[in-house]
Amino acid sequence: MAYNFSPDSEPTTRTLLRQVLDTAVPRTPRRARSTRSGAQRDLLETPSSRRQRSQTKMTARRRSHTATSVDRLARVQASGHLEEQTPRTLLKNIILTAPESSIVMPEAVVKLVPSPQVVQPSRRKSSRGSLELQLPELEPPTTLAPGLLAPGRRKQRLRLSEFQQGMDWGHLSQEPRENADASSLTSSLNLTFAMPLQPQSVKRPGLARRPPTRRVVDVGTFLQDLRDTSLTVAPPDTVLEDTQPFSQPLAGHSPSVHHSLPCPSPSGAKEVEGAASRRTRSSGPGLQNSCPGKPAQLLARKMEEVEAIAMGLPNTSSVSGEDGIEPLQNGVGEEAEESMEESMSVREVEKAAEEQGSARAEEPEGHTEVAAAAGSLGAIEAKEPEGSSEDEDTSGRLASPELPPSTPEFLRTRRLQFPEPAPPPSTAVLPSELPKHLSARIPPRPRIPGSRPRQDPNKAGLNHYAKLFSFYAKMPMEKKAEEMVEKCLDKYFQHLCNDLEVFAAHAGRKTVRPEDLELLLRRQGLVTDQVSLHVLVERHLPLEYRQLLIPCAFSGNSVFPSQ
Amino acid sequence: MALSTTVSQRKMIRRKAPRGFLKRIFKRQKPHLRLETSSDLLVHLNCLLFVHRLAEESRINACGSKCGVIKKEHVLAAAKVRSEILFLSTVTLEYHLVRHLCLI
Repeated sequence: MAYNFSPDSEPTTRTLLRQVLDTAVPRTPRRARSTRSGAQRDLLETPSSRRQRSQTKMTARRRSHTATSVDRLARVQASGHLEEQTPRTLLKNIILTAPESSIVMPEAVVKLVPSPQVVQPSRRKSSRGSLELQLPELEPPTTLAPGLLAPGRRKQRLRLSEFQQGMDWGHLSQEPRENADASSLTSSLNLTFAMPLQPQSVKRPGLARRPPTRRVVDVGTFLQDLRDTSLTVAPPDTVLEDTQPFSQPLAGHSPSVHHSLPCPSPSGAKEVEGAASRRTRSSGPGLQNSCPGKPAQLLARKMEEVEAIAMGLPNTSSVSGEDGIEPLQNGVGEEAEESMEESMSVREVEKAAEEQGSARAEEPEGHTEVAAAAGSLGAIEAKEPEGSSEDEDTSGRLASPELPPSTPEFLRTRRLQFPEPAPPPSTAVLPSELPKHLSARIPPRPRIPGSRPRQDPNKAGLNHYAKLFSFYAKMPMEKKAEEMVEKCLDKYFQHLCNDLEVFAAHAGRKTVRPEDLELLLRRQGLVTDQVSLHVLVERHLPLEYRQLLIPCAFSGNSVFPSQ
Repeated sequence: MALSTTVSQRKMIRRKAPRGFLKRIFKRQKPHLRLETSSDLLVHLNCLLFVHRLAEESRINACGSKCGVIKKEHVLAAAKVRSEILFLSTVTLEYHLVRHLCLI
């Protein structure tokens, strides 16, 4: 339709359309059939009628009231301008009544005379329409002088404002409520919240759709936590002892991230002891999650007692606390002392890192702390059964409810492994690798306070297999049985890693390759001379994985995956 | 030509292998070792088969004790009978042999 447009000051769509409308009436969409006006009228009418029909259909999708109001308006409009509804007339309505507003620069709220033709029913529109519906309550409807026609994006807003105008005339009070209630989009709801505050925002639905309030609170509380903890921690930082080889000055009260950051450095050393490290790591976030500053996890129970004493009272009480621990240590000390001295130092490191507000700046305390730490760990392991129930009670206080179920089991597995003839692989690794690891690798482990606990991704993966278990079993299972399955899986993974390590070492490699896995399966009796690995892969793995695993010949004399 | 080494994102695999999870577990246990890409999937296969056998055994135990529900003790017994022994006895000794000989 834009056949003759003289470039205006702004060749916008609006101007174009205006040009078009201003030109001679007999202009049809189909240029070839430019004949008498009657035929044109017919031509114009059929699309208009089609549009009407579709329009009514679309309106019917929305509220019935809106349809009626719009129709009413349409009739009013039609009567005002022309007898029949043609696209030309409707467009003219738009141009006449549309505001000269831009999306970028919001204007005062505009009420337009709605032109039914252009309203397109999208869900977003309806939601936006619902926003605009509330506007009429605030401002009286006004019409603007015809101005520049907005680009396509603004057309939608035009239609909305027209729609809203229709709402004015229609059921004003009912519909905003209904629309607000019925709209399932959160954006619309958010916008309704923003409505009384910023009526301008309605003019920019695309920008205002985002709910602005959600993140702010979290960050605010987070910063608050930081500030609080930073305030409280400042003094103890200097007091903390530096006699510990790996202690970081930030082993303070705070459950915040900042203090966790240096903690990872000694905690990284914990990785050497696989199980123990996992335990302490789980206790770490547990410690930090507790805002009041009292970690309630069993793992840190002993430490907690000591800490509580240390935090509450000066050295004397802490000494007494350690005295209390020592008999325990003597009782269970074998296990603690059985582990190498280096492990004790590592554990002491952990304690130093994780103890909150430990005011043991003195060296004698540092020495006793070593014993206390080891004793506490031993005591923890001994008292694990009693503590598990308490652990679960206190776990409610923490933000990590998933930890307790897994960690007591984990501790039980640890204890079960203790009497094994072979010391747990982690401790076996310790003598040779401890100095190397402590010096070389300190992987940073940022801890996020108040977020999901560390074990959660582990549990998620284990849950995956536990569900498979319940699927394979084909029978209903108890919850405890599922926990037991997870525990077994845990042990299984440990054994698996050990075996793979052995196999890789046997082959003189440091990378575990599929051949090692095949050997493992063979040892387990899954792969035999009759049943090969490929058969198992085909049976149990989905096709995509099979393609990755089993070499297959392709065209062009190529094999994938290449051997 | 040959297929890509990775599964394209658009393919929705029903029974996905939690490769990230497995890799993480392995890294945590043995940080000095590396796990290859394809062996990742074979580990998953191994897990599947293990879980399968465990489930079978637990089911047998549960049916043996005329129980309609699988209970903790069934699972425990199954684990002790089948896999635990297998894991502990055969390979662990070898493992410790290797360790003590410091082959790594």
